[in-house]
Amino acid sequence: MSEKQLQSTVAAGAYQKEWFAQLRRDVFESHRPYAILQADMPFEIFQVMGLPAVSNQWWSAVISAKRLAPKYLDAMNAMGFHDGLCRYCSLSMACTLADDPGEAPWGGLPKPAMIAARLTCDCIQRVFSIWSEALGTEFFALDNPGATELPPRWWELSRHRWRELFEQHRLDLTVAQFRVLIRTLERITGRAFDRAALRTLMEGVNRQEEYFEEVRELICNAPKTPVRMNEQITNVMAAQWLRGSEWAIQHAKNFRDEVKARVDAGIAAYPGERRRLMWVGAGLWHDTDFYTAFEQKHGAVFVWSMYLAFGPDGYIRYGLEDPLEALASRTVSMNEQLHMPPWANEWIVDQAKRHRIDGALVLTPLGTRPSATGNRFIERALERAGIPVLPVFADMVDPRNWNAAKMVERVGRFIEERL
Amino acid sequence: MPESNSAASQLAWHYENPMAQAMEAHRAGVPVVGLTSNTVPSELIRAAGFFPVMLRPAQCATPAADEFMEKNVFQARIRQIFESAVGGELDFLRAIVLSRTSEQEYKLFLYLREVAREGSRDGMPPVYLYGLLHSQSAETHAYGISRTEELKRQLEEIAGRPIAARDIAEAVVESNAARAAVRRVLRLREGVPRLSGTEALPLIGAYWLMARAEYAKLASEAADNFERGGPLPGARLIVKGAPLDHVRLHATLESHGAIVVAEDDWWGTRSVGVDISANGDAVKAIFDHYYLDAPSPRVFPPDAADRWFESHVRKGVDGVVFYLPPEDYVLGWDYPRQKRFLEKLGIPSLIVREDSGAEKLSAESHESIERFVKEIARKR
Repeated sequence: MSEKQLQSTVAAGAYQKEWFAQLRRDVFESHRPYAILQADMPFEIFQVMGLPAVSNQWWSAVISAKRLAPKYLDAMNAMGFHDGLCRYCSLSMACTLADDPGEAPWGGLPKPAMIAARLTCDCIQRVFSIWSEALGTEFFALDNPGATELPPRWWELSRHRWRELFEQHRLDLTVAQFRVLIRTLERITGRAFDRAALRTLMEGVNRQEEYFEEVRELICNAPKTPVRMNEQITNVMAAQWLRGSEWAIQHAKNFRDEVKARVDAGIAAYPGERRRLMWVGAGLWHDTDFYTAFEQKHGAVFVWSMYLAFGPDGYIRYGLEDPLEALASRTVSMNEQLHMPPWANEWIVDQAKRHRIDGALVLTPLGTRPSATGNRFIERALERAGIPVLPVFADMVDPRNWNAAKMVERVGRFIEERL
Repeated sequence: MPESNSAASQLAWHYENPMAQAMEAHRAGVPVVGLTSNTVPSELIRAAGFFPVMLRPAQCATPAADEFMEKNVFQARIRQIFESAVGGELDFLRAIVLSRTSEQEYKLFLYLREVAREGSRDGMPPVYLYGLLHSQSAETHAYGISRTEELKRQLEEIAGRPIAARDIAEAVVESNAARAAVRRVLRLREGVPRLSGTEALPLIGAYWLMARAEYAKLASEAADNFERGGPLPGARLIVKGAPLDHVRLHATLESHGAIVVAEDDWWGTRSVGVDISANGDAVKAIFDHYYLDAPSPRVFPPDAADRWFESHVRKGVDGVVFYLPPEDYVLGWDYPRQKRFLEKLGIPSLIVREDSGAEKLSAESHESIERFVKEIARKR
């Protein structure tokens, strides 16, 4: 990402880099344990147990941004894994299999004490099993019960009525699995789980997401977006991986303050904004400049991605008497909320309306096929709501079939012809 | 009905006409419930007074699936089921029951619900998700029992009557008799085979499509007939990979002189497994069978998923064909590990990455199969 307009963005990037450097020092010099987690895992439990956690998707994005994905993915294919397999969730593993720490970003991932994932798709148990064998570490899996009741406007229920929204049988199973996870973490860390500390952390997560909600509202209501989508993502995700921590809450507040000050001062991310775009799907990590490529010529600015918008609706939970159960409700349906009908299409249309979106680009990741599902429903729903859609067939981390110039031209045509 | 009256011909006819008995049952006033995979407990459906039938629509154009389902994501069979449900072919069903034992089925469940919610199509049968999880832990075991009780409750609601213990016991006995018949067919493929894979698949596959008692009778009769036949020469192969609900890959392999003696999938050798226990809590016994013995892409950990394959390979086989068609994005993760296992035992393998379903395999694939079969035949 080239231009950084917000101080918060610079601070978030610097903090993440230093956090990772400290993690490496802690692991190599002090032999402290840490964990690698799939992005939809309950990071909160790890935080309460004092076990730092690196997100698999974040690390994939870092590798991709460093332009190292083709090398690692080619190496993985050469080991017999065919080229139709998923890339986003396996790129970090491919980096481990390539066993080239000298070239890996920031010195590469040290050996974790454990890796853990929720079994959403059918691939992830395989990716993490192979990875755990390569790392010589244990793999903890949380199975993922299916949702059977899905009231469409889930975000109206998720904060207070989460027990009825997420089905008691799913919450009970998830809590039961959390208890096994906690026992595992107690063994690894030598610390006892503190339920009160989890509740305090969950309250902190609520505060953090409330700040993000304010930012979201500012973006919805300001005449022109005060903060580009790229910078939203950097600020939000740096805090989400450490959600509820003092740093994360303070960072969210600083971010809110800075965005509010910009709105108050009438500052727009791009003063020539005439059209507002939304990006549906995971970030295009190998080419984040793409998101600013339509400003000058077309006056089109990306104002929405799920990363900021999902924070308040997906994470806030009120009624924390049983913090594990509340956390289970946050964890158990992320995939359905973001990718599956009816939850994803209903939510995205609502978001598009609130953000005054003129057009949507919907990513169908060819190299990460399970992430592509739900998209046709989303596209149909947006079009029905009067929001033109351009489907984008590309991968979030693999640039091998990405032709930036051609895509910019295609999107430009879409903007001029349909918006 | 088939031209020949032999048991094998009748089973093969049902394999080629998968909805024939279901339609017959429907016309006779017996409500029919469609299943989407081997992990839905058909015994409970039968006990509720329904005719259970595995959904296996013919390959045809899929305009509805093209509209709603992302390309290159869903398997052809899942797309065809969606097409036939949305297209109206399945309107005669009382319900469709899908299982959580594959991501594809779970998503199919959500997609069908959404089409119904949108009101794009009236008259579609209601869909139900059976929440069976296939990772092995005390938590998923306890959860699975409760979800099996829930499925029973849902079936009672659809049927409008309670399911009696006696009904479940009878359905289990009937199913176990059909399982025994399948196992007789499978025994004809062990050691020196008397039945080719191309002949075996329809005999086994009809299990999912027919009334169990009738199936048991016909399959036993067919086994009697094949027992009288002579041994079949040829290199013995196991096919492993995407489930095959057709004989085209087997026919190709066997046209080059090999004999397919087993498949690690539920349309073939792993269709029925062991009997459901007739002792103790019947619902738990049914659940345990589907939890512990039925294959699915979500069986975890890998040791459990590989157990059948490794033990079957060790029993004696000349080669393994991995079938990973272009639609695969799951089983390919297992391939390098399983190939290494075979290499340690000195067993050759071949990977087929073309789709053997819709069209004929390419000349290139034929050539590599021919070379593979010749090579292993030379080593025998």
